[in-house]
Amino acid sequence: MKLVRLLNLVVVAVLVLAAAYVYKIKFESTQQAQYVAKLRQDIRAEHDAVAALRAEWSQLDSPGRIQGIVERHFALKPVDVTQFDGFDHLPGRPVEVVSPDVADPIGAVIESLHDDLPTGSMKGRAH
Amino acid sequence: MPMRALRAEPADAPEPPSDLAREPWYRQLIRSLLDGQRVDREKKTKARLGLAVVAFTLVYGVIAVRLATLPIVADAPAPRRAGAQETDATARPDILDRNGEVLATDIKAPSLAAQPPKVRAINVDEAVELLTAVMPDLDAAELRTRLGSNRKFVWLRREISAEQQKQVKQSGVPGLTFFEENKRVYPNGADVSHVLGYVDVDNNGSAGIEKWLDNKGLRDLHQAGFASDRQQKPVQLAIDLRVQHAVRNELLAADEKFRAEGAAAIVLDVRTGEVVALVSIPDYDPNNPGRGVLEFSRINRLTKGVYEMGSTFKALTVAMALDSGKVKLSSSFDASAPLHYGRFTIHDFHPQNRVLTVPEIFTYSSNIGAARMALALGVQEHYAFLKKLGQLDRLRTELPEGREPIVPAPWGEINTATISFGHGLSVAPLQAVMGVAALVNGGMLIPPTFLKRSQEDARAVATRVIKPETSAMMRYLMRLNAEKGSAKQADVPGYYVGGKTGTAEKVINGHYVKTRLLTDFMAVLPADDPRYVVLVMLDEPLGLPENNGSAISAYNAGPTAAKIVARIAPLLGLEPRFELPPADRLILASARETR
Repeated sequence: MKLVRLLNLVVVAVLVLAAAYVYKIKFESTQQAQYVAKLRQDIRAEHDAVAALRAEWSQLDSPGRIQGIVERHFALKPVDVTQFDGFDHLPGRPVEVVSPDVADPIGAVIESLHDDLPTGSMKGRAH
Repeated sequence: MPMRALRAEPADAPEPPSDLAREPWYRQLIRSLLDGQRVDREKKTKARLGLAVVAFTLVYGVIAVRLATLPIVADAPAPRRAGAQETDATARPDILDRNGEVLATDIKAPSLAAQPPKVRAINVDEAVELLTAVMPDLDAAELRTRLGSNRKFVWLRREISAEQQKQVKQSGVPGLTFFEENKRVYPNGADVSHVLGYVDVDNNGSAGIEKWLDNKGLRDLHQAGFASDRQQKPVQLAIDLRVQHAVRNELLAADEKFRAEGAAAIVLDVRTGEVVALVSIPDYDPNNPGRGVLEFSRINRLTKGVYEMGSTFKALTVAMALDSGKVKLSSSFDASAPLHYGRFTIHDFHPQNRVLTVPEIFTYSSNIGAARMALALGVQEHYAFLKKLGQLDRLRTELPEGREPIVPAPWGEINTATISFGHGLSVAPLQAVMGVAALVNGGMLIPPTFLKRSQEDARAVATRVIKPETSAMMRYLMRLNAEKGSAKQADVPGYYVGGKTGTAEKVINGHYVKTRLLTDFMAVLPADDPRYVVLVMLDEPLGLPENNGSAISAYNAGPTAAKIVARIAPLLGLEPRFELPPADRLILASARETR
């Protein structure tokens, strides 16, 4: 019988502990759930704010508005078709006057002046 | 007894009386519970107690497990507040252009409602005074009747600003509530109107793509209250906002210059069938469509209107003739005298009074030549060809606005003769553009779409309508026309534009009226390897003094198309090329080589 009483006591103690533990978990989970709900609400609010800002940005960025501003404040003209060109038509890279790994660059420049130096201007290139 | 029946033992084996010990335990239990007088009482009680113990243990076990899992298993999501549900229910997906620019989006706007019995806690007049102080445009008399009514809930103002909401709160009127509602905004205003359409105050689509979204199932979602904004993917259109704006800007200028009733333009990608820009003037601001939005003058002329397209239809006639193999580029037709048909006479606008070759018929825009060409093939073939090109059936696109073409019935020789140069058959302009695109893109008819589409997807829905060689010849004729024909005014140096003008007299009360014209221009860009077809259409343009008062297409729609092309070609990424050889060397020669 003694054993049974001891068992009973142990069971009661376990029960109390379990109850306390369950309460703690439940309390924490409620807190977490509230936190999640708050985060959800914040995300929603952010979403709405982002949507409003995006709408505002597109309004500010709309081509109609930009054209109006440009016409009011600048004397700009639409780009003419002759103002476009491809990379193929770019002039070649100018000849290096001095190679970069020369120890005395200034001296080398003076040296090279004796040669027929291409200056990059049309006149120079014509030589 | 049931147990006896269960014990299925062979009949010839006599049942041993004392084999209880060999029975399985559950049989022993059941036997001890059921068999009345035959077992002793102690055994029976023990068994019954045992059963009770097992039952109770199970029940308490279940309770214990459930208790332990309660805090672990997540709570069922709490039902949302009514207000939140309401805003979700009207959410719509964003609409983007082909580059991801926002064309339509939802923002949250507070709406003001009131519970009249609570408002009457203070004086109604005082409440009205306070509210009109914040919102001066609110009708005071109506406000008074609404607040004085016996209803439990009345709307006062939909979609107020955040600032007004703050002031209303500060005014301290009791019984007011705010609801966050979705408000549809179109940041680009009237630039993209007919394509997008607009929504009513409850965020239901009333026209254009917005209505298409509703028809596609959004309305059901709204009614079920499921259309939450997080589950809706944005819809990406084929429209390029920059091109759309440039086209509209030029078209507005032309509309003003020629004092036209209306103007319209389409830019169509001939490889994918995407509508890159669509403008129909007069249009509206979708943010505030106003009352006149349903008026006939403000319809989308390109899909909802049907028109006799005039000479641009000659492109279809010539393509048909060339594709049949019975007519070659070198073939000629007699255009020396007007063509008489009963009481009708077909004249040329620029009479040459001689026999014309096919390219000459196209570049001089000879009605007589086109009619003879169509008649040479016959009524049946003409009808079948136009049917194949989709000119005789209603064109179905995403836009709900559409109309059946007006097809003559019966279709006799006179009809073939006039339709060959674009009179007597009214089609939606978008439909005609689809046909011309098929003539120049290598011969594939691609149904146009307002949604972004890849070339692979386009190929899947395309059907071959003419041979690639015929298409090359059409490109040659289009370019030739810009080099020496009626489309000279529309040539833009550097972009190798090809095109065809069209001028049609409008039918007023059943008669053609010479002074009320519909002019259009079909531009192919660039003509040697077309990427886009641009249609410009002016409804009743006036002739200008510098053109001797003439209002034919070459003086208005053509130059407008040139301005549009010069402006949009850089936006569309077309590289200007100069010093290209003329059409007969560049297009025709290369077509012969590949053959």
